Amino acid sequence: MKYVDRGGLAFFLKGLAQDYDVYAPRQVGDELVLERVDPDEAQPEVAWNEHRLAESYKPFFFQTGKVVSRWTAEGPQGAAPTRPRALLGVKACDLKALQIVDKVFRDHTFQEPAWCAARESNLIIAGDCTGSADSCFCTLLDDVPWPKSGYDLSVAPSDGGWLVDVGSQKGEAHVAAHPTLFREAPAHAVQARDAARAELKARLEALNARYRTRDPLELSVSKNLKTRIWAKLAATCVQCNACNLVCPTCHCFLLHDVKTPDGSARLSMWDSCFHSGYARMAGGGTPRLQLTERFKNHYFHKFVSFPRNWGVTACTGCGRCIDACMGRIDKRDCLYRLETEWLPSEVLGEIH
Amino acid sequence: MSNAFVPVPALLEDIVTETPTIKTFVLRPERPLPFKAGQFVQLELPGLGEAPFTPSSDPREPERIEITILKTGLVTNALHELEPGAILGLRGPFGKGYPVQKLAGHDVLVVGGGVGLAPLRALLYHLYAEPDAYGRVSIRYGARSPEELCFQRQHEEWVAREAVDFTPTIDRPAAGWKGHVGLVTTLLDDLDMDLERTYAVSCGPEVMLKFVTWKLLDLGFAPERIYLSMNRNMSCGMGICGRCNIGTHYLCKDGPDLCYADIKDIPYALG
Repeated sequence: MKYVDRGGLAFFLKGLAQDYDVYAPRQVGDELVLERVDPDEAQPEVAWNEHRLAESYKPFFFQTGKVVSRWTAEGPQGAAPTRPRALLGVKACDLKALQIVDKVFRDHTFQEPAWCAARESNLIIAGDCTGSADSCFCTLLDDVPWPKSGYDLSVAPSDGGWLVDVGSQKGEAHVAAHPTLFREAPAHAVQARDAARAELKARLEALNARYRTRDPLELSVSKNLKTRIWAKLAATCVQCNACNLVCPTCHCFLLHDVKTPDGSARLSMWDSCFHSGYARMAGGGTPRLQLTERFKNHYFHKFVSFPRNWGVTACTGCGRCIDACMGRIDKRDCLYRLETEWLPSEVLGEIH
Repeated sequence: MSNAFVPVPALLEDIVTETPTIKTFVLRPERPLPFKAGQFVQLELPGLGEAPFTPSSDPREPERIEITILKTGLVTNALHELEPGAILGLRGPFGKGYPVQKLAGHDVLVVGGGVGLAPLRALLYHLYAEPDAYGRVSIRYGARSPEELCFQRQHEEWVAREAVDFTPTIDRPAAGWKGHVGLVTTLLDDLDMDLERTYAVSCGPEVMLKFVTWKLLDLGFAPERIYLSMNRNMSCGMGICGRCNIGTHYLCKDGPDLCYADIKDIPYALG
């Protein structure tokens, strides 16, 4: 465990801009947004976020509209990777989201080239949560609001400076390059951080206690798939897709081909399972014509299919979907009502 | 790192008109594209888009691939306008293909509807190539009218084969048609097959698959013996883009042919 004072961290971050495009949370009006730090800025301002930002880090690894291949006079070829980025303000839920999507885009028979390249080249500087949003519910998924794995460096404020955890060889190399900035952390600073962690975790657990389901979510969703409650839960959904867009684990995409001056290009476009045309086929047939069916499929995918196929729930409890929903649909509430507000099963056909 | 989004260029060598709305596109890819019967490819019209199709040709000829296509959407409409000589793109093959290992040693009932006979033709080539490995092959095929029956040039050859029977039907009576009239399910009424040693494999519109499945279950087929070519919108082909799921299965990597036993409890799997 290392310790760096405030000035030292600012100096370190400025140095990073030599090797990376640095993206940090910054105060814009009354919002915290991810912005690129200008390498020529004398004293880079970082508005260290208490909890996860409104936007996820997904676009730094999986960008909508990204060209995945081109077909020119030289024939078809893959696309060039993007410049490495250093990402600041990444929280435990963001790290988990990357690990969840890794299962699909990287640790698989086929690899998504852009995702794999970005996972390799980007530097992740994570941080402890020091506060929570009303919509945060990582503890409901048995996670904690501090980084445990998946970062290069992780920082936590303590004792007027920053504690620094090294999580990878890449992170180690950066710390080793600045032996005068980073010193061994004093024990009391570590104790103070651990106390703050425990306190925040307890607060999050209290905040979410009323949403705790009796059964694990996978069982709860799968066994209640046929109840009529889904139509009630989906009643205020206007299919705006905001939940999919802000979700750090939603990764559905559609390959979209376009003509270019020198041939054609294939773009990977983010897609939304709430669109009625999401699964539509040539000829017009669509297997989930009703919104309720699509709504149900969204939950089924996140809480049942994904854990069965990949061994992990495709939700981090970041709560961004709750904040983004104009229909005021709260995922925690839906999962809870699914179990508590029992309605008779839908009558299914002889064959289903 | 290989990039699975990049297609292999393929020369469109020939186009065979099968029916007023169905054509077979004969493609010669830049390098052979070995595929198993029932596996599918993404066929790309550069700059317009790609669509998933199961080749209808003999899997033993990976250097020359036939794809039989119904004119029904953006990509397929444009494909139907093409002339030989065009360069198209192919990605794949994807999916598992037909369960030929399970079919070995068994009789096979093949039930097709319309352009649904296309992927089944690849299976037929496979079965015909090793007649000793499989039992009897019974083909029941339906289309709306006589002119909409696909692969007519091959029907006589199929009928003439030993241990193969082929019965076509059309939905409504038509002038000059002497064969069976009625939906393809009516061809299953007098099924004289030993269910104990038979697998059924079906491909066609989803509504047809549903009624064929009902019929087969009525006849006493076990759900484990019924394989259906399911249709969903498949984009990536690798089980990562999300849209082609039926329950926990991704058709593109787990299918596109699924055993009915695996989907029977999934709500609305069959429409």
